[in-house]
Amino acid sequence: MEKQLHDNICEEHLFSSIFNKHSKDLHNYLYYKFGELLNPKDKVQEAFIKLWENCSKISPDKAKSFLFTTGNNLMLNEVAHQKVVLKHQQTKPKSYTNENPEFLMQENQYMEKLQRALSNLTEAQRVAFLMNRVEGKRFKEIAEILDISTKAVEKRIYGALEKLRQEIKEL
Amino acid sequence: MEKEYLISKWLDNDLNDQELEAFKKLEDYDDLVKLSNGAKAFKAEDFDTSKELDRVLKSIHSSKKQTNWVKPFIKVAAILAICFSLYYYTTTIDTTISTSLAEKTTVELPDASTVSLNAKTFLAYNKKSWKNERNVELDGEAFFKVAKGSTFNVITKAGTVTVYGTQFNIKQRDHYFEVICYEGVVGVTFNSQLTKLKAGDSFLIIDGGKIAKEKENSPTPSWLNNESLFKSLPFREVLSEFERQYGVTIIADNIDTKQLFTGGFSHNNMNIALQSITLPLHLTYSKNNNTITLKRD
Repeated sequence: MEKQLHDNICEEHLFSSIFNKHSKDLHNYLYYKFGELLNPKDKVQEAFIKLWENCSKISPDKAKSFLFTTGNNLMLNEVAHQKVVLKHQQTKPKSYTNENPEFLMQENQYMEKLQRALSNLTEAQRVAFLMNRVEGKRFKEIAEILDISTKAVEKRIYGALEKLRQEIKEL
Repeated sequence: MEKEYLISKWLDNDLNDQELEAFKKLEDYDDLVKLSNGAKAFKAEDFDTSKELDRVLKSIHSSKKQTNWVKPFIKVAAILAICFSLYYYTTTIDTTISTSLAEKTTVELPDASTVSLNAKTFLAYNKKSWKNERNVELDGEAFFKVAKGSTFNVITKAGTVTVYGTQFNIKQRDHYFEVICYEGVVGVTFNSQLTKLKAGDSFLIIDGGKIAKEKENSPTPSWLNNESLFKSLPFREVLSEFERQYGVTIIADNIDTKQLFTGGFSHNNMNIALQSITLPLHLTYSKNNNTITLKRD
C-alpha cells in the first residue's frame, strides 16, 4: 500500500486539489441520481464544507467516499422520494438544418418519452448510463467513481439501455 | 459477432475498426445512436469547478471565524453563568425556620447559639453573613441561648434586641412585645430608646405602653417546659397563646378580655388547660370541633 503523505486534509491546497478532482464527478453523480430540483450544486458545497469541518479525521484516500456518502445523505435528507426531473438542455445538438414541423414534433415526442423512461430507471442504472452516454466516461472510470466493479457498471449501463429502448417502444 | 458484445463495446467506446463496421450493420444501429444522442440532451448543468471552489472556500473562511471560538465561548459563558447564579442563590438566600400551631422546635445557629421556637413562630438568618454580623429575624416567640462572640441582633417588627452572650426570651405578638433576660445583659431598642436588662429583668410593652414587671426567678421561660405562665396580663394574651398552643379558635364574646389574669396552663392536656384558665374567672366553656366558646357562669 502506498504510504500516505498526509493523514488529514486540513490544509487548503490539499483541500483544493480534492475539490478539483472530485467536485464535478460528485455534482454529476448527484444530478443524474436525484435530478435538478434538489440543487446538486448546493449539496456539493455542503458536502465539501462538511469535509472541511471533519478534515482532521479524514485521510485523503477516504475523502472521496466521504464526499459521495455525505452528498447522497444530504439529498436523501431533503426529500424522501421526489420524482426525478432531468432538464433538457437548451443547447440540443442540432445536426439538422431544414426541419419541417412534423419532424420537429416527432423529435419532441421522442425526447419526452426518453425523459419519462429515464426517470423510470433505477437510480443506479440512471447514474451509470448518463455518466457513460452524456459525460462520455468509460466503464472503468465510472467503476472508480461509484466504487463498484467494471462488470457491474457494464451490467447497469447495458440494463439501462435495454430498459430505455423497451419503454420508448411501448410509450 | 455477438450483438450484445458489440453494444457493450460501443458503450465503452472500445470498438476497433472491424467491430465498428459490424456494429454499424446491426439493425438496432439507428435506434441506439438516436437514443444515445437524445440522452446527451440531459446533460447535467455546467459545473464550473474553480467558481465552485471559490464559493466553498469563502463559506469555509467565513464560518471558521465564528465556529472556532464563538461557540465554545458561548458554552463556557453559559456554564459559568449558571454556576455563578447557583452559587449566588444558595449563599445569599436566608435560612428560614418556622413552626406552625401547636409545634415547638429548637434550632442551632451557625455558631454554638441555640434558639427554641414556640408555636407559630418564624425565624430567619443568613449563613453567609453570619461571621460578620449575627442577625436574626424573628416573628413570634423564641428563647435564645447566645454563644459569646460579636453582637447578636434579634430584629423583630416591634424592636431590636442586641446581646453579647446570654440567655433571653423574646415574645413579639400583636400589640405585645416582651423580652426577659435570664443571663448576662440584653439591650432592647424600642422606639429608638435603648433599655438594658440584667439577669431576671424583663421588658414588656402592651399596646405601645410599657408595663413594669417584677423580677423573673425561673432560669428558663416556662413554655420550654410545656407550660404557659402569666402574671397580671390581659386575658386576651392568655387566650391567643392558648389558640397558638392548641391550634383552636376561641370565641369570647361578652367577656372582658382586658381584665388581668395570673395563672397558667399546660400544653399537654387541653381539658385541664381549659379548666385552669376558665375556673379562676368563673367562666364555662363548650367545645365544638376546633372552636371553643367561652361564657359567663
